[in-house]
Amino acid sequence: MNKRAIVSITFVVLVVVVAISFSSYQSNLLEMHDKTKYLEKIAAKTASPLINLENGSPVLGSHVAPITIVEFGDYQCEACYYWFHNTRSTLIDNYIETGKAKLVFVDLPFLGRDSPRAAQASYCAEDQEKYWEYHTMLYTFQDGHPDSGWADRDRLNSFAFSLDMNVDEFNDCMDSSKYAKRVKANYDEAVKNDVQQTPTFIIISQDGTTEKFAGAQPYSVFAATIEPML
Amino acid sequence: MLAVTIFVCMFIPLSILSEFLFIEPFVIFHVVEDRIASFVLITSISLMSAIVIPMNIYRIITLQKSTTKIGGSIVGSIIGASAGICSCGPIGFSIISTFGTVAGTTTAFLTNYEIPLRLVSLGLLCLVYYTTIRSISVECKTQ
Repeated sequence: MNKRAIVSITFVVLVVVVAISFSSYQSNLLEMHDKTKYLEKIAAKTASPLINLENGSPVLGSHVAPITIVEFGDYQCEACYYWFHNTRSTLIDNYIETGKAKLVFVDLPFLGRDSPRAAQASYCAEDQEKYWEYHTMLYTFQDGHPDSGWADRDRLNSFAFSLDMNVDEFNDCMDSSKYAKRVKANYDEAVKNDVQQTPTFIIISQDGTTEKFAGAQPYSVFAATIEPML
Repeated sequence: MLAVTIFVCMFIPLSILSEFLFIEPFVIFHVVEDRIASFVLITSISLMSAIVIPMNIYRIITLQKSTTKIGGSIVGSIIGASAGICSCGPIGFSIISTFGTVAGTTTAFLTNYEIPLRLVSLGLLCLVYYTTIRSISVECKTQ
């Protein structure tokens, strides 16, 4: 094959890729500007009674809040870290603490061997009523490098110690792997709901309509999604 | 035209995979303060690829020269594109779910060394740019 043919083929492939990317981008752009169409899209989505949250985290916020925000995450995921530090607190201030929404965290630990271990540790902390404190501790000390040792067994113990937890009880819980099945159940639940990255969010309204989106998205996206559901 | 095409082809997918550009539920561009370095690097890599690849295509078509340099620029672009994008995203999830521990180690490497790998990619593209400029000057004089 001569050089001209190689260059021509490369160019055609590039043009096709761009055309596909641009058409997808354009259709989403148009959709964003057409709010009515977007609201219709939300309304058309069916309820998701199949999301099983019984193995997830304890509820953060009021149990009777009309909106449920489900976060699928991995403690070693860097994007989850960015979402935790840039978006979550505003969401808590404006929707969780005002009683409009509640948050449930469901583990999708896939990034390394320390991911399921950290998830199990969070439930061992729940035994001592420190789930959300431990959750915060994990996302505070995450260094963005999976399996670098930041969430190894010693560090998990030190986090428990820092939170004034009973470290012996925490150790027994970790040694027994009593929450391994719970973490696996959460993983399976995420896969069942077609979650393919972390963080992924499913917002469930009181009438059962749902909206799912992925990534460490800014607060404005959450507000724009939740407000029409209230 | 080709340069714009290459820039768009690289910048938009990289922005989506690096979670700077979101298309669902709304199209929104979002760069948090602590990820500015990463954003600057993917912008620079897309820009350099958009300059270097068309220059080499010009060399191949007009001057009928070898394809070695375009190979270098494509390798540079691929290194820059693959670094860091595999961490928590759908590509990483698919790879790790399918290939297990080995894939996990590979994606961890790409995540851990995102910035150095992108700097290497940028360096490679700058090197190809420099050598291409030199060879075009010499080849054009010769012809």
